[in-house]
Amino acid sequence: MIYWKLILEAIGILIYATLVGFLFMGIERKAIARIQRRVGPPIYQPLIDTLKLLGKKESVSHGLIYDFGPVFALGATITALLFIPVANFRLFSTNADLIVVAYLLEVPMLGIMLGAMSSGNPFSALGVQRGLLTMVAMQLPYGLAIIALVQHWGTFKLNEIVALQGIHGWSIFVPALLLAMIVFDIVFQAMLGLEPFDIISAPAEISMGPMLEYGGKQAAILFTQHAIQLFAETTFFTILFLGGASNLLTLFIKQLAVLFIAIFVASIYPRFTIDQAAKFFWKWPTILGIIAVLLTV
Amino acid sequence: MNGIPIILFTPLLAGVLAWVFDFKGVRETIGLIGAAVPLAYLAKLYTEVTTNPLNYSITVGGFTLHFQLSTMSWYFTAVASTVALAMAFGMVSTSRRGYEWLFALMSFTGVLGVFLSQDFISFFLLWELMTFASFMMVLRRNRHESLKYFVLSVIGAYSMLLAIGILYAKTGSFDFNTIRQALLMDVSLGTIGKGETILLFTLFLTAFGVKAGAFPLHVWAPGAYSETDQSYTSFFSGALSKAGVYGILLIYILMGYKLYAELGTFHGHLTFAYIIAWIGAITVVVASFLAVLQEDIRKLFAYSSVGQVGYILLAFGTGTSLGLMGGLFHVLSHAVFKGLFWLVTAAIILRTGKTQFKDMGGLARKMPYTFAMGLIAVLSLAGIPPMAGFASKWLIYEAAISAHMPLVAGAIFLGSGLAFAYVVRFLYGVWYGQTPSDLKDVKEAPVSLLIAMTILAIPNVLFGVAPGLVTKYLNKVLGGQVIGGTYTKLITPHGTYNALLVTVILLFGLSVAGLIYVYGARARKIAVTDTYQSGNPVTEDYNLSIRKNFYRPLAEALDFWLKYSWDRFYERLARLFEDFADWLREGFYNGNVQSYSWYLAIILLILALWGVL
Repeated sequence: MIYWKLILEAIGILIYATLVGFLFMGIERKAIARIQRRVGPPIYQPLIDTLKLLGKKESVSHGLIYDFGPVFALGATITALLFIPVANFRLFSTNADLIVVAYLLEVPMLGIMLGAMSSGNPFSALGVQRGLLTMVAMQLPYGLAIIALVQHWGTFKLNEIVALQGIHGWSIFVPALLLAMIVFDIVFQAMLGLEPFDIISAPAEISMGPMLEYGGKQAAILFTQHAIQLFAETTFFTILFLGGASNLLTLFIKQLAVLFIAIFVASIYPRFTIDQAAKFFWKWPTILGIIAVLLTV
Repeated sequence: MNGIPIILFTPLLAGVLAWVFDFKGVRETIGLIGAAVPLAYLAKLYTEVTTNPLNYSITVGGFTLHFQLSTMSWYFTAVASTVALAMAFGMVSTSRRGYEWLFALMSFTGVLGVFLSQDFISFFLLWELMTFASFMMVLRRNRHESLKYFVLSVIGAYSMLLAIGILYAKTGSFDFNTIRQALLMDVSLGTIGKGETILLFTLFLTAFGVKAGAFPLHVWAPGAYSETDQSYTSFFSGALSKAGVYGILLIYILMGYKLYAELGTFHGHLTFAYIIAWIGAITVVVASFLAVLQEDIRKLFAYSSVGQVGYILLAFGTGTSLGLMGGLFHVLSHAVFKGLFWLVTAAIILRTGKTQFKDMGGLARKMPYTFAMGLIAVLSLAGIPPMAGFASKWLIYEAAISAHMPLVAGAIFLGSGLAFAYVVRFLYGVWYGQTPSDLKDVKEAPVSLLIAMTILAIPNVLFGVAPGLVTKYLNKVLGGQVIGGTYTKLITPHGTYNALLVTVILLFGLSVAGLIYVYGARARKIAVTDTYQSGNPVTEDYNLSIRKNFYRPLAEALDFWLKYSWDRFYERLARLFEDFADWLREGFYNGNVQSYSWYLAIILLILALWGVL
């Protein structure tokens, strides 16, 4: 028996997520530009950029793993997306829980690192090092926020977390989980690669870091990956703390709210160096996270 | 006559034979047979074991030694035997001496014996055999490291001996079942007080903690794992360290209820288990941080191994059946992925003769198959679904969080982030970037090593896609339906993980991404030096890969903590003892005949006062 409905839904959501993700990327650029009193590119710019990259006549390759990196990253992002309940579409979310999704959302990073390193470019290697250290630094507060959430709701299943929030009110109205949300939001900034944790790509000093060597179709794949990842992560945030959504419009509004917080924070703060970021993450977010988990035990 | 003595003694016999007939070809054949027989027999006995346990006993010098192949010991021995078979294939390539075959296989017998023993006499004897054989393997390469291993093992052995002595004095038996019954009865009788129970617990924890490499007794592991034949290390770190883990499990089986009765609970957790959980959590964090900062490929994996065994202790420490399940699963997955890592390391060292990251690079083009195997190990260790490493780690996450141990669970998150960091260091340092000029003509690893790697790579993928194969068996071991679901889907009380579906969707995602790739423009292959360098053309003369101090910013962020080291503390302690002994020696044996006659006089006087003379 083949679940045609499910498969069609999955493909539909995938296309929707890609388009909305590109839209978010455009909004991100436009909003930051407006805050900096520039005009900014049109909102559909990232999409045209990607299409242009796909249309390139030639691209270069440093070997199999170099090509496999972006492909693996995109594949893992798609996997993560399809295990998240998106609005009223449950997709495959009954088959994997919070921990699996949290892991799957980190895997693409490893894919990009895998490919970027194999290029042999020292800027890429530097970017990889910074990316991984940021990940190490954010992992503890990230974990604590998730643990607080699971302890409060008593389940790992994303559907049940959404359902419970429907009955008892959103997570952020619970004091302990509000703390967890603050922690998660700080980490979120690093997950999206925005200031103050954008030292991974740091365009002005290491020329986009891991993504440096990629051009043509590989870059297009990476852009697409970023779009879907943006969609998946904002959805994940919404599910965990903002009560999920019953339809795509509500979801879109909530995602936009999450995104704008990230954009505003990013426009205000300057960049941390890696050791500053590590020390920062292991101080305030961790302390808040520990308070949150102890309140929910 | 059942299979147990064959399983137990074939490796030892084969080792001795390989040592006697120390000719090229002969010792390898004998060794391989010796390592393969236990696995073959275990496979044959599988159906019998699952219905009822097999027993075997021999009488040596008035003592009867009991061995039992239960579902639990079958699991541990099967894991050890798989790794041992891979080790033997690896040693065919890397080992040139009968000496190494003798002690490698001797320690195999020791490990099997530890898992099969049903009484403390055989347990202790075979435990010591295992320690001795592994010590001899290290001694051959490095005296200092072997001594460190030896001293800590002796501390462990004495602790165990004392504990066994106390138990014998209290219960009058060495037999596991009798002791277990006696300790259960004792909860109401109360002949063993709280103080003694704590003492017993501490002694056993020290004994097994040394072998498992638990913090702060882990200091021997990095040195000992590095300074031996790397094929053997796959067994040493993959299976032999599991003897310590098995010992911790034995504490639960023998003394669990007694410890609960005496020590009670702490905020709803079993106190003794909570201690184990914290030891595990600290081990995970400390060892993983140290692994990230290593510059030597062997040291990196040694610390990583210590950290991964920490996960197992942590899982057992949750004290729930889900935690035990996660820990036992991780025994298997750690054995297969870390064994694989060590074999990959063995291949690298065999072919390049280098161990430092700064001397390597760009080997992926030279040793593609080894690289692929290394990648499988990396994915499994980093816990990328769908690999065996993910399934077991997932169970540990669920167990720790459901047991309401938030801070301990936080340590797992931190540890897995660190694991990402150090495996990438390995990938970057060894496989990518420019090749140093002296490694231009490195060849692929020899066939037997490739076979060995394949043996361990298969379970990594198989038990990753079908984790139910393991959990269904472990349900039998733990005597209940701990985890539901099918062969490919795990269902815990609060979560689900459908490994097969994740695999299928991942393949779907990969094919979508692959389609974009395939239908894009043709890619032109370019050299590794042909990269963006801010307008400066690069030639082969400059090696631009980051060779040293890859994670320097982390070291800077941690500089306060890195000032303290247990290893250095022990070394200083050792030097202090040495100096004291020197001072004593020089004070007494000063070469002056007069002082010697004074010693004689004083001793005679003491004896006279005592009334001996």
